Amino acid sequence: MRKYEIGIVDTRNILKAIKEAYDIDFKNHALTFFKRRLEYIVERYKLKDADALIAKISGDPEFFELFLKEVCIETTELFRDPSLWRYLMERFLQDNIKGQAGFTIWFPEVSSGEELYSMAILLNELKLLDRVQFVAGSISRLRLEDLKAGRFDLSKMEVNQANFKRIFSDAELEDYYRKEGESGFIDPALLKHLKTVPQNTYYDQQPRNVKLIMWRNQMLYFNQILQERLLKSFYQRLVPGGHLIVGMNEKIDYWNAGKDYILVGDNENIYKKRYS
Amino acid sequence: MHNAVIIGGSAGSFRVITRILHALPKHYPVPVLLNLHRLKHVRSGFVEALSIKSNIPVVEPYDKESIKPGIAYLAPSNYHMYIELNKKIALSTEEAVNHSRPSIDLSFETAAHTYNKKLLGIILSGANKDGAWGLKKIKEAGGTAIVQDPKECEVSTMTETALKTTEVDHVLSALQIVDYLLKIK
Repeated sequence: MRKYEIGIVDTRNILKAIKEAYDIDFKNHALTFFKRRLEYIVERYKLKDADALIAKISGDPEFFELFLKEVCIETTELFRDPSLWRYLMERFLQDNIKGQAGFTIWFPEVSSGEELYSMAILLNELKLLDRVQFVAGSISRLRLEDLKAGRFDLSKMEVNQANFKRIFSDAELEDYYRKEGESGFIDPALLKHLKTVPQNTYYDQQPRNVKLIMWRNQMLYFNQILQERLLKSFYQRLVPGGHLIVGMNEKIDYWNAGKDYILVGDNENIYKKRYS
Repeated sequence: MHNAVIIGGSAGSFRVITRILHALPKHYPVPVLLNLHRLKHVRSGFVEALSIKSNIPVVEPYDKESIKPGIAYLAPSNYHMYIELNKKIALSTEEAVNHSRPSIDLSFETAAHTYNKKLLGIILSGANKDGAWGLKKIKEAGGTAIVQDPKECEVSTMTETALKTTEVDHVLSALQIVDYLLKIK
């Protein structure tokens, strides 16, 4: 088990070094999460200590790209929480997309892409893919490059398969990707309506007229200030009646900004924009 | 002498946990943090099953939920559960540790940081090594460590690894663990 421990003072110094070198501001990420992430990175890249990490960040922009990739926590697996995806398939997407074209689904932090790939497969099975425009952002350029290539991690195929089978009884996940070395590559046809957008840590690059925001298990890593700020700005970007989906164990009504949304949809943590 | 109890287990621990929750009185004076390995995709049902015989509320906490006495907090499926210094829960989907998410080690370690010598850590029956390192961290922080007697465990990998890794305070049967917990005032 780990480990090298990074103190709070070191963590603050690293935040400062990143801000100075790249004008990127992580101060509203949850501090204990960020500290853990730094410890992980120090171990993973076999650095000596916090000072070595600072030197590497400041002096090596290519390393910093890897750093940003590591800070974007993977979305873990395809069709995480199968019951949500079943609900989306059986009820939500058909009800909401019906008759509409240009249905914009926004993934503010797409990270390792599984959420978007899952959505694309689902829409393809429902023959609704052509009605949808995906907009995907990330603070990591490398993550966006992987997304455009449709790349994903094959080491989780067992879980991916099991989840898939819980949703689709007569389709095969194999039909949707090819293998190449350690990676899987999703069928490019699924990504033809994809637009990627580089993000800063405040997710300021926001599309307009969004019908659905997929934002599962991302707020876990932010402090209250950033959570409030994002919930407010998402509200502005959603069309009337638009929806926001958060993780199964995330709750948004702790915060003032969360009161602008109403929980709908059978325990699946789907929120609807409240009419003002 | 204890401000929080944290319990880790996997295969074979369900019955012990049920017994513990059944024995604890309503308004138990400390929080009970539970980290039990289970199937990833089965999201519901587990809390309900544990609640049936429990006298204290059993919840799967939300991210950033405050920890209160007299409530059992069960690490949600497919998330790590960290105990923050401000006595709140933090959840995360970071990498599995020892093939486990939730990882008992991570919950134990962060709880040790937060509660120090006021923490009681317990390892029950289980099928992998997770938890041994975390129990060691609890001891290093001055807390108390209890391991269920491997002889009565359905699967003893977890308890045996814990005993090899750490000098624990007590090796107890499930019944004795219940008695010990009832003495916490």
